[in-house]
Amino acid sequence: MDMIERYLNAVAAQLPQAEREDIVAELRDLILSRFEAREDELGRALNDEEKEVILREIGHPLVVAARYRKGPDALVGRELFPYWLFGVKAGLMVLGAVFVLGLVVRLIGGSGNFGQDIAQSFHGFFGAGLTLIGAATLGAALMEHYGVRPRWLTEWKVRDLGVFGLADTAQWSSAVGAGSAKAAAAVKAQSGALRPRREGRWPGSEAVGSLIVNGLFALWWIGALHFPGFGHISMRGDDVAISGAPIWTTLHAAILVYALAHVAVDLVSLAQPYAVRLRAACMVPLHAAGLWLTWTIFQAGHWFDLSVNGQTTRVEGGQALLNVDALKALDRLDGASDLTLLASNLSVVMTWVLAVAAFGLVCALLHNLWRAAAGR
Amino acid sequence: MALDVELFETMRLELRRGTLVLAVLACLRTEQYGYSLRQALAADGLEMEESTLYPLLRRLESQGLLDSEWREEERRKKRFYRLSVTGVAMLAALTEEWRGINASVDRILSQPG
Repeated sequence: MDMIERYLNAVAAQLPQAEREDIVAELRDLILSRFEAREDELGRALNDEEKEVILREIGHPLVVAARYRKGPDALVGRELFPYWLFGVKAGLMVLGAVFVLGLVVRLIGGSGNFGQDIAQSFHGFFGAGLTLIGAATLGAALMEHYGVRPRWLTEWKVRDLGVFGLADTAQWSSAVGAGSAKAAAAVKAQSGALRPRREGRWPGSEAVGSLIVNGLFALWWIGALHFPGFGHISMRGDDVAISGAPIWTTLHAAILVYALAHVAVDLVSLAQPYAVRLRAACMVPLHAAGLWLTWTIFQAGHWFDLSVNGQTTRVEGGQALLNVDALKALDRLDGASDLTLLASNLSVVMTWVLAVAAFGLVCALLHNLWRAAAGR
Repeated sequence: MALDVELFETMRLELRRGTLVLAVLACLRTEQYGYSLRQALAADGLEMEESTLYPLLRRLESQGLLDSEWREEERRKKRFYRLSVTGVAMLAALTEEWRGINASVDRILSQPG
């Protein structure tokens, strides 16, 4: 195959079908014109080496074809890059915090393998971090490709800019009340200079706490995080294994969606910390979903199985245990002498935990209904 | 102080980038095909890579600023470009803008430092 044709084939392969023939014909004319001009200068025909020099001057086929591409020539363009960078930085910090917390929990739990715990946490962090960067880049690339420019890119409000402090570790330290004097001073100076003082805590701090808790829960729920000792109870020296009842398998996806929805609402709240009404409006259906989940779990009646030395007992309960007498009959769990008594105690505890959780969800639902209406 | 050649090259390219479209539109007041246009620009001191010029011509055509047709010349089919009616109006507007910017920058540059 002729050198020009080989070059043009390589270019053509990268071009859209509809324009391929036209562009290739024009490039062919350009190449031949360049060859002819050079031959006129030299007064003789060009050899292959000289032809190759000219083709190299015109450009690598991938580069030449890319210049004809319509649409963006970068995955993350100049306009989106600052947002992408902030999202990645803030996301990595949140992930870092979640994994550090997970590591601390493991170490406190006394897994006994310090080195392995740290290695697993690093491994988990890098995996999650790379996924985050990939997802952010994919999102930005889609926005570039389809020319999507959300309103928050152009119609931002000064009152919502607090979230951008997330990239500042000094502000983080301040938010959790553990900042050094230097960090606190830096934030104080920044707050004083850039925005009016607000009384009370920063509204985003609620979302930060909730995000960490829900993030940890979601990671544990999908098996990405393990808490040492969880799933076992000690009974007079015997190791009692706790396994979930079928209801947890049935509701596995629903509970995961519920936790991830919480994470999503927390992230939105961090992006718009002063949009109290928006958070409240999002929390109302979430609390309703939480109530449904709690009720479904309660209705199932059978929650766990306890197993030791080949013996298995069910942890189960229901409305019959929702009375003070059942609570009075509770023995100390650590003093439970046999599996049946232990299961009986756990049944009462679980019944009341679910009842209190439901009551808490009703209160939270009403509170958020009020916040959504009043905007406070 | 020695000039940072790499930085100068970057800034020179940035400075040039915006003016290339104006130069190409101005050159295409008379009909040209790609290679002859490149030579005409080079003769006036504006070298332009083919890999930049040819896609630019297609973009300007898709924006309605150029008309083109395939014609045989020197025993080969060539694509000839020239300014469309919209292109003529755009060139006039850009020329006015260019002269304004040029005059402003000239005034600033001539002020004593």
